[in-house]
Amino acid sequence: MADGTPAEQLAELLELVVEAYGLEAEVSIEDDGETLRGVVDGDDLGLVIGRHGQTIDALEHLATRIAFPEGKRDRYVEVDAGGYRERRADALEEQADEAVSEAISSGQPVQLDPMSSSERRLVHEYLRDSAEVETYSEGEEPKRRLIVAPASKE
Amino acid sequence: MKELLEYLARALVDHPDEVVVEEFDDDDGTLVLELSVGEGDYGKVIGRGGRTANALRTVVKGAAVKENRRVLVDIVE
Repeated sequence: MADGTPAEQLAELLELVVEAYGLEAEVSIEDDGETLRGVVDGDDLGLVIGRHGQTIDALEHLATRIAFPEGKRDRYVEVDAGGYRERRADALEEQADEAVSEAISSGQPVQLDPMSSSERRLVHEYLRDSAEVETYSEGEEPKRRLIVAPASKE
Repeated sequence: MKELLEYLARALVDHPDEVVVEEFDDDDGTLVLELSVGEGDYGKVIGRGGRTANALRTVVKGAAVKENRRVLVDIVE
């Protein structure tokens, strides 16, 4: 159990990781009431991100558990480093657009790659206003995937 | 690395005073970190489907890169 507000706990966690990884980087916290975001800025942040974003997603999972113990979460927790989330969002939106075209042309549901809950939420939100497809998730973490399916005709 | 694991485990559990990390070197030079926590706290460091345990391993491994070592995090009861 960590002391302090969720924002303080998130900052402390990220500062400790920056130090343990031997990096020169700054940690800042943003809170818009919906998402508590911890941002690491500096050079050479590859270690914080990890292969396929494995490390940054692991940090986000731990930060969520630490800042908001079970059942007490009232905001999303996001961890970002060196603009990774924005690059990732662009790539995910591109994948989502491709999945939409494929679902419409084939008339079949299309599976996206397994991704974290925050990334599934991003794609889900991105496609929410589409009249042509619907999205849902299938499978168990960490292999849970978003499915893009042609919208059922009503 | 030991300190990082201790910090993360203490922040996750209900009884931080019961968190213990033992550190030793394996024959092949791998650093082994054995984590034990209070009886009721294993779920907190393991998580659903082992997700939290995997996240702990991934984050601690990042710290091993700098020291050019292999590290193994073992959760022991």
